[in-house]
Amino acid sequence: MTLAAAESVTYTYPRSLEPALADVSVHVRPREFCLLSGPSGGGKSTLLRLFNGLIPQFHGGVISGRVTVAGFDAIRTPTRQLATVAGMVFQSPEAQAVAETVVDEVAFAMEQRGITRAEMLRRMDLVLAEMGIGHLRHRRLATLSGGERQRVALASVLALEPAMLLLDEPTSQLDEFGAAALLRMVVGLQATRGIAVLVAEHRLERILPSATRVINVVAGRAMSLAPIDALSALDDVPPAAGLSRLLGLAPRLTLEETRAALPRGLAARPRSDATPGDVLLAVDGLAVDLGGQRVLRDISMALREGEIVALIGQNGSGKSTFFRAITGLVRAGAGSVVFPAAGRDQPRSTREITGRAGLVPQDPSIALFRESVRDELAETMALRDGHRPSASRVAGTLEAWNIAEFASRNPRDISVGQQQRVAVAAMLAHEPRIWLLDEPTRGADRAARLQLAGRLRRHASCGGAAIIATHDIESAAQFATRVVTLDAGVVLSDLPAREAFAANGPHPTQVARLVPGAVALDEVVFDVAI
Amino acid sequence: MALFGSSMLAVSIVVATINGSYGDHILFTIPGPEMPEWLGGLRFGGPVSAEGFAAAGIRGLAILCIFLAFGVFSGAVSPYRVLRITPGALYYASLVLTVGLTLLPSSIEDLRRIREVRALRGARSGLRELPSLVVPAVINGLERSMQLAEAMEARGYAVSRAPGRSARFAAAASAPLLLASAWLWFYNSSGKPAGALCAAAGLAALAWWFWKARRSHAATTFTAEELPRSQVVTIVASGVVVVMIAVARAAGFSTLGYNPFAGLQMPGFTLAEAGLVATVAWPAVLLLRRPALASPPDAPVATAFAEGAP
Repeated sequence: MTLAAAESVTYTYPRSLEPALADVSVHVRPREFCLLSGPSGGGKSTLLRLFNGLIPQFHGGVISGRVTVAGFDAIRTPTRQLATVAGMVFQSPEAQAVAETVVDEVAFAMEQRGITRAEMLRRMDLVLAEMGIGHLRHRRLATLSGGERQRVALASVLALEPAMLLLDEPTSQLDEFGAAALLRMVVGLQATRGIAVLVAEHRLERILPSATRVINVVAGRAMSLAPIDALSALDDVPPAAGLSRLLGLAPRLTLEETRAALPRGLAARPRSDATPGDVLLAVDGLAVDLGGQRVLRDISMALREGEIVALIGQNGSGKSTFFRAITGLVRAGAGSVVFPAAGRDQPRSTREITGRAGLVPQDPSIALFRESVRDELAETMALRDGHRPSASRVAGTLEAWNIAEFASRNPRDISVGQQQRVAVAAMLAHEPRIWLLDEPTRGADRAARLQLAGRLRRHASCGGAAIIATHDIESAAQFATRVVTLDAGVVLSDLPAREAFAANGPHPTQVARLVPGAVALDEVVFDVAI
Repeated sequence: MALFGSSMLAVSIVVATINGSYGDHILFTIPGPEMPEWLGGLRFGGPVSAEGFAAAGIRGLAILCIFLAFGVFSGAVSPYRVLRITPGALYYASLVLTVGLTLLPSSIEDLRRIREVRALRGARSGLRELPSLVVPAVINGLERSMQLAEAMEARGYAVSRAPGRSARFAAAASAPLLLASAWLWFYNSSGKPAGALCAAAGLAALAWWFWKARRSHAATTFTAEELPRSQVVTIVASGVVVVMIAVARAAGFSTLGYNPFAGLQMPGFTLAEAGLVATVAWPAVLLLRRPALASPPDAPVATAFAEGAP
């Protein structure tokens, strides 16, 4: 039996030449838990929007093929009618709230349906309890965290009791903690409510053990896989599965099973990082007060040439404030920030400081507004130098960031992942020696993460240095040479990456827990002699 | 907002000074070019009178009061709650307004972040920087509205039927009817009976649409909780004051209006009228007594208004 089906669907967005979906056929059975994987811009969001009619009804464009959901023709039945059949949660928590408080937000969809008050009360208590947000019921949405807001969004969709749940990268804007909590809720739902779930998500390991099927969408084509096969077939798999594949073993879903299956004779050949050079940035006793609260206290660290520091900490630990204090966006209450290379001529303004230490804040694409990616890079160079840069210089930067293929396109028209890359390149186009990146891998797919890791290593080997704020340990292990752990505004530990990511360190990676001495896949060797 | 109101007051007085003014009590004269007659009274410099100052002051105070009143009112009465008590027929119009209100703070936040990102890219502040702030802010605002529209659509917004064609036709017809009636009544000395007829027809059409729209609006409301009594009193009191002032003026109580050009005298004072005007400040009392009534982040702002209120 099929709950929802797309048959030979080809769809092209308006003003687009390439189809976003090409001859896609997907069948979803009741109670199924499907994980949508694939690179960003591959067509996951488009596929999800087929099932509640947003495509083609809201977005327009040209479609062929058939889409049915619970007996409705989803291409022709109005989306607002399909809302009770297929509920959808979007990426951004802010852009889907209509009301002021949690209760009003959850009630909104039910009110639109004209559901009686008694029934609304029953469903309200149920969904709030299911999502674990009963205690937030009278809170204003504006005062909630991103993770809490996504749970409210999920609750308000569930209140309509849909047969199917469509989740479009619901965790991409959440921190590790919020994302894990949300996905736990989704996994629980599938078990208790028995509804079908389609969830687009980059981080396979979070839900793969619960998924019944993986639908991989690449370049508009969809392929259906069993979860265990997905670990063998997909590009973007957790490092533990990657290790099994490297050794020619069948990947396992959990770390324990993987460890049990590993052969003897695995050894580590640690990557040798270059010896750090001169101090580029010296922070001494830095303290920051915001709104009468001390958010950073007594932070001291020296960043040397060739170092890539991963700054790891939960949300609210002060990572962003640290960057903002260095670049002069917030005033430090105490301490000093010194660039030894500048000598007596220390930079003062944000403009001068970022000339030496370029900061890429979270979601930098917000400020893109030029007609083309090329112009966007040239803009930064012109702002810094006071004159338009040469075409060859812009071309070199495009090449270095691997964005030359869409140099002439409007930054607003490329995929979110590509946009992110362009934004980072634009923020650092003036080639400062120090890079400060705030959560650059959040919501990024494998290609983007690898690209960034490579770029960082190259930067360090050319005498640059970088500090990267992140929660993503596995990504950080790809590039970091040193790890600073921040907690509640205090430096908890400052260790070489090798110790920090080790099995007994503060942030053990999957590989470290499987192969003692290694932290990333490229450090594992199979030594037959042992 | 209080700051903006105060600056408007200052601007009003400065403009009055530059512009010069007529009146019997000339305070001083600013030298300025004689403007040709055909510019229709536009002047720079010239004599400045006490009357002119008084008139400018009153104008500025009026603007300041409007800002204060709006600030206090919106602090005391949540727009979402007002939305909930609007009649079904006007539901969608008021929903659009409320959603717009929700988007406003996020747009301001966008602007702040864009400015920051621009500064990090090495932009200097200044007028030339304006387009690079405004353009992305507008684009982001539009994108956000589209996302919100999509999310609302996906959650079954406006799933109840629209009112029938006849009702919509009646609503559309009411506007020209009412306009025609006003024209006949005020500008055509012999057209008063026809004007009244037109007005009646227009109002009837509007009532028909209202009734139909209300019936077709099938949505229910979850929150049974009525508007808190203090807020009801605020809304009713504000309405009553408006009506009373209109009545007082019509009945010939003159102290509510003050014309400085009629000779500079101390404005008259009667207790009844002063009391009437003071009623407008009622929401301020409400806020001072229960600052938690308004949403927490708004509270400090709202209290600031309350302190500055008359």
